[in-house]
Formats: sequence, C-alpha cells, structure tokens
Amino acid sequence: MEALGFNMDAGFLEGVVRGYKAALLTQGNYHSLTQCENLEDFRMQLSSTDYGNFLANEPLPLSTATIADKATEKLVSEFHYLRTNAVEPLATFMDYITYAYMIDNVILLTLGTLHERDTHELLERCHPLGVFDTMPALCVATNVEELYHSVLVETPLGSHAPMRSGPPHPARSASKWSQDGSRAPAIHLGLAYLHLADPAAPYFRDCLSAQDLDDLNIEIIRNALYKAYLEDFHSFCQTLPSPTNEVMSRILSFEADRRTLNITINSFGTELSKDQRARLFPTIGRLFPEGNNALARADDIDGVVASVDHIAEYKSFFDKAGATTGGTDNEGASSLEDEFFKHDVELNKQSFLQQFQYAVFYSFVKLKEQEVRNLTWIAECIAQDAKDRVNDYIPVF
Amino acid sequence: MAATTTNPKERTLLAVIGDEDSVTGLLLAGIGHIDQQQKKNFLIVDAKTQTSVIESAFEDYTERKDIAILLINQHVAERIRPTVDRYQAAFPAVLEIPSKEHPYGEYACGPLVPPSDISDPSKDSVLKRVQKLRGD
Amino acid sequence: MNLTVTKSRLKGAQTGHSLLAKKRDALTTRFRQILKKVDEAKRLMGRVMQLASFSLAEVTYTAGDIAYQVQESVRKASYTVQARQENVSGVVLPAFEGVRSKDASDFNLTGLSRGGQQVQKSRDTYVKAVGTLVELASLQTAFTILDEVIRATNRRVNAIEHVVIPRLENTIKYINSELDEMDREEFFRLKKVQGKKKRDAERANESRMKENKEFEEGGKGQVGRDDGIGGGEAGGGDMLDQGKDEDVIF
Repeated sequence: MEALGFNMDAGFLEGVVRGYKAALLTQGNYHSLTQCENLEDFRMQLSSTDYGNFLANEPLPLSTATIADKATEKLVSEFHYLRTNAVEPLATFMDYITYAYMIDNVILLTLGTLHERDTHELLERCHPLGVFDTMPALCVATNVEELYHSVLVETPLGSHAPMRSGPPHPARSASKWSQDGSRAPAIHLGLAYLHLADPAAPYFRDCLSAQDLDDLNIEIIRNALYKAYLEDFHSFCQTLPSPTNEVMSRILSFEADRRTLNITINSFGTELSKDQRARLFPTIGRLFPEGNNALARADDIDGVVASVDHIAEYKSFFDKAGATTGGTDNEGASSLEDEFFKHDVELNKQSFLQQFQYAVFYSFVKLKEQEVRNLTWIAECIAQDAKDRVNDYIPVF
Repeated sequence: MAATTTNPKERTLLAVIGDEDSVTGLLLAGIGHIDQQQKKNFLIVDAKTQTSVIESAFEDYTERKDIAILLINQHVAERIRPTVDRYQAAFPAVLEIPSKEHPYGEYACGPLVPPSDISDPSKDSVLKRVQKLRGD
Repeated sequence: MNLTVTKSRLKGAQTGHSLLAKKRDALTTRFRQILKKVDEAKRLMGRVMQLASFSLAEVTYTAGDIAYQVQESVRKASYTVQARQENVSGVVLPAFEGVRSKDASDFNLTGLSRGGQQVQKSRDTYVKAVGTLVELASLQTAFTILDEVIRATNRRVNAIEHVVIPRLENTIKYINSELDEMDREEFFRLKKVQGKKKRDAERANESRMKENKEFEEGGKGQVGRDDGIGGGEAGGGDMLDQGKDEDVIF
C-alpha cells in the first residue's frame, strides 16, 4: 500500500539519491588513489570520478584540509538539493539527519561563548550540514545565559518538538547535571521552570542549564544531547510507514549501541562516574536494557566483552579487534572503531536493498561522510608519506 | 652574559607558535596554559594571519619570564626570519619544529613532492650555525 | 721597583693565558659533543613530529575535528619543564626536564562517543614528542650559551696573547732600556767628574810647581813636597780609578 503512494512524493528523490549512491567511489577508484605519489596525482585521479574537477581552483600546494572541505562541500550541496525538493514527511526526516550536526555546532558555539571568544569566526568552523538559519543569531549572545535562552527559543533543535509523536524521554530532572550543589541551583532551577511550560526545546531542557556549561561537562552535554536526539529520531522513524521504520531502527540501534560501547570503553580511567555514564546510554538499541545495565557496571574491557556476549555480531567485533586479550591495548581498541565503521557501512549499504523507504537518504549521507573520511585519510597518508597505513580506510563499495 | 643572570628555575612553560595541527597536538600533550590575565601561551597561525601578529607574539613570548622553551613551526619562523635570526638570548630557547604540511626534507617526503613543500632543516637559524661550525 | 711589579704581572698574564686556553679547550670539546647531538636530535625530531602529526590524523579520521575543543579546554599546563643546572668549567648550563603532572587528565572526555582511544593514543604520542623537543631545547640552549662563552673566552685568550702580554713585555723592555740609559749617563757623568778633577789637579799642580819654582828662584829655599789629597799624580788617579763603577748598579 505504501509503495503505491511513495513514488508520488519521493520517487524522484529516491531516484536521485540512488544515482548519487552509484557515484560513490568504488574499490577500483580507491586503489588508484592509494597509488598516488603526491596530492597532485590525487587530484588527477579524483577528477576522473564523480568529483570531477572540484579541486581545480585550489591554489597549490594542496592541503588535506582543503580536500576534506571541498569533499564535504560536495556532500552538502547534494544534500541540499535533495532537501529542497523534499516534501513531508521526508523533509522532516532529512531535517532530523541535520540535527546530529547541529548538536556539534551548538556545542561548538557554546564552547566559544563560554570562553568569550568571538563567535563569528566560529561559524566558519561549524559543520555546514548543521547550519541553521538562526545560528548567526546565537553569536549575538555574549554570555552563557543569553545563549541558553536563544538556543532554547530560536534553534530547530529546540523548536521542532511539536512534530514529535510523543515525549519519549522519561521525566528527568533538569538539575541532574548540577547535583554537585556547588553551583548555584537557584538560577538554574529558575531557568528550568521558565521553560517548563514551553513544549519546545526538549533536548536542551533535559540536558542543559547555564551552570552546566563548563568545560568538564561539555562532552557530557554533547553526549546527552546526542542520546536525546537518537531516541527522538528513533521514535520519529517509528511513526513512518514500513519499511522505513524497520531499516532505520536497525541503523539507529547500531548507532546507539556503538555510542554506548564507546562511551563505556572511553570512560575507563576518567572522572566520569558510572552513574553519569549510565545516563549517557541511549535507551534504544539491541543492548538496551540488559546490555546497558551490564555496561553501566563494567569496570574494564573484559566486563564490556561479557556484557555484549549475547549479541553475536558485537562479540565478533571484539574478537576481531583482539581487545579481549589486549585489555587496554590501544591497537586493539582502535581497530574496534574500525570494526564499528565497517559494520556501519555494511548496514547503510543494506538499506539500499529495499525500495520505497527513506532510509536510503540517511544511508547516503552516512556513506558519503565515510567516503570523505576515506579521502581525507588517503590524502593524509600520501601527504605524510605513511604508505603502510594507507589501506586502513573502509571501502564503501 | 645576560643568559646566566636570569634564573631559569622560574621558567616552566612551553609556548608554541604554529599551524592548527601542530598546536592542537602539543596542547593535547598538555603544554597549554592560560594565566590569570587570560594570556595564552600558544598562537595558531594560518595563511590569513598577519606577519605583524606573529612577530608581536614572538616578541611577547620571548620576553615573558615564565617561558622556558618557545616552539615555532619552521614555515612560520620563515615568515619572520629576520626577527628569529636576531634573537640570540639563551632563554627562552627558541626551537624550530617541522609541521605536518612542511615536514623535514630528507626523511619525510617522497621524491615527487615539490621542493617548495619541504622545509629545509638547514634554514633553521640554530642549525645554520651548527652547520657553519661543523664546516659543511 | 716597577720592574719587579711588571715582571710579576707578566708572569700572571702568562699563567692566566694558559688557564683560559685550557678552559677554552674543555668547552670546545663539550661544544663539539653538543653540536653533534643537536644535529642528530634535530633530525630525529623531524621523524618524531611526523609520527605525532600522523597520530593526530588518525584522531581526525575517527573523532572528527577536535582542534577547537582542545584549544578551548586549555586551562593550566600539565606538561611543564624544570631546569637543572650543569657545570662545565665554570659555565652554568641549564638542562630542561619535562615534567608531567600526575593529574594530567584533561581531554579525557574528548571523543567520548567515538575516537576517544585515538585521542588518548595521540596524546601519548605527543607527550613523547614534546619530551624529545624539550631535550632538544636544552641541548640548543647549552649550544647557545656555550657558543657565547666560548667566544668570550676566545676573546680573552686572544686579548691576553696579543695585547696584554706584548704590552707587558714592552713595558719591561722600556724600563730596562731606560735603566740602561740611566746607567750609561751616570757612568759618563762620573767619567766627566773624574776628568775634571784630573784637570783641576794638574792645573793646581802646575801652578804650585810654578809657584815653587818662582819661590825657589826667588831664593826662598826648598819647598816641602806635598802629596795632599789627590794632589799627587799617583794618589789622585788611584782614587778615581779603583773600580768604583760597579757600585753604580742599583
């Protein structure tokens, strides 16, 4: 039934996105790229692909940063083309994709404001996918409190809330991050109440208060925001017709699990308490709830391995990465990340196997992003003459 | 000999002037310091940075009493070469370091990298003196 | 008097010269060592820094751009240097030593959700790299200081060799020549005195003889001979000729 109506709204765009996907670099392209002696060659090789002469106007010598920027620019322009032509509910779906980048941007701006830096130059550093119209308005904020208000009121992160199907967040006290008591709870609570009536800004109300915006917590806030975002996106996807919800659920679950595992592993030996850690775990994914609970208690990498034991795929990551024996061995952990990336790519590739669903758009962005990463990596290896590592990229096709 | 009269014991900091990657890495190692007057001990230089800014930072860091070592990217030092060459004092020690985009020649680059991309270690003012003294 | 003083000064200058020359040689030996090390370390550093920046590239691959975050999280240096002092022939050479404070846990949460391991790894690589840099910096400082000290010492050695010692030698020569001159003058003067006395004596003798003759001719009888002081031909001559010269030396 869904398939009948799908092409009316999104048929064109699905065709376009599949076309974009076909233009992703193949193993053959990557192979010839890795053979390049310098970045000049690299540019030549790329010009025979869909990238064309996107680097043609760059002054020499090329830097890897320029390559990454230009490649991202291409991704962004493709995305914007899709977004402009999209109608509801695809439009909202695509907006959701950008929210992940917005979180990073807002965090960046928050950091800048916190240190009383000129936030205008920060705008250049923001990820172009996460740029929203009112973002420059955030730069007007000269202190954290103003920023707090403008974030809550102005940004899409704050105001998309009415679109949500229902509040997926368990009622969390806004003050949870300020439990230390040393920070002034009065102002903070005042701020929280101020916005309690406002249905907007669920992410921020849940996670953020003016007093929380210090360096120690900025990573925690970022992750808390991301958790809220994932959960929200997930519940939004559930409102979409099948098979979008199934495919997206698979991808988002993995994303959530990956974050959970990474947060656990990376928090060993830091001042992040187990309590705080557990609160950063997204409440979706295949690890939720037992796996998350086990991870919350894990003290070392062995504990992590034990808690993912019942999921064969994740277990195989650890086996491949050799993390079980290596313990805190860095080599093991870094290839664990690689395993995650590989699996991520695999899942995103699978989403192209099904027609009449939106997940292809999400997957396209993710695959393209991976491709940009690969290009940067190869360029970096060429520039730094580290040929032995050049094949450590994750091939997409 | 002004060098031996100032007490090096009070100098504990490293300062750095360089491109974004070099500075980030060094800050990651923990050399970053911001004092009470919000003065930083690092400066990020990109293509847009004015030479005068680099120069004043260089002079500022070399005059500060708490800096023991000043690290500066070679390609940045190249831009203010006269100032660097004029600097003779022992404290703080000025050390020219290679950067990602401009690694040291002999080891770092493939044969086809254009020579303009390679920083030449012999441009280093200290190394220049070293080489002069070694007679090559 | 002055001659003795100057002579002792010359002696002092010569001893000083040989001491300084020794110091210079010691410093130069040290300097050559350092020179070699600086050269090596500079090249080693190229490699180390390259490794480090590559590890940062790994971070960028997994965790994205963390540059800004890192810049903004800077609070207080957790990696500092301490200066030790080393003495080479009276020259104080500082040697820096990197100190990493125990609670160096900044950036622990960076890349929490992805790339955290790479961040830590890259941080360790950079800490090692900074260690190399610090070592190199102390070598270089030693190099600069030694260079200066050696130059100063060289200047002094040369000054003593080519200015002080010749000057003292000249002074001594001058004093000696003056003294010789004085010596000769004195001798000449004495000769003159002697000659004059002789002439006077002769003249007196003559006139006395003449008087005597006149007296005798005048029939006033025999004149008693008087050999009086210096009056006699032999007596007067003897008195001046008795090797008095030696006494002149003082």
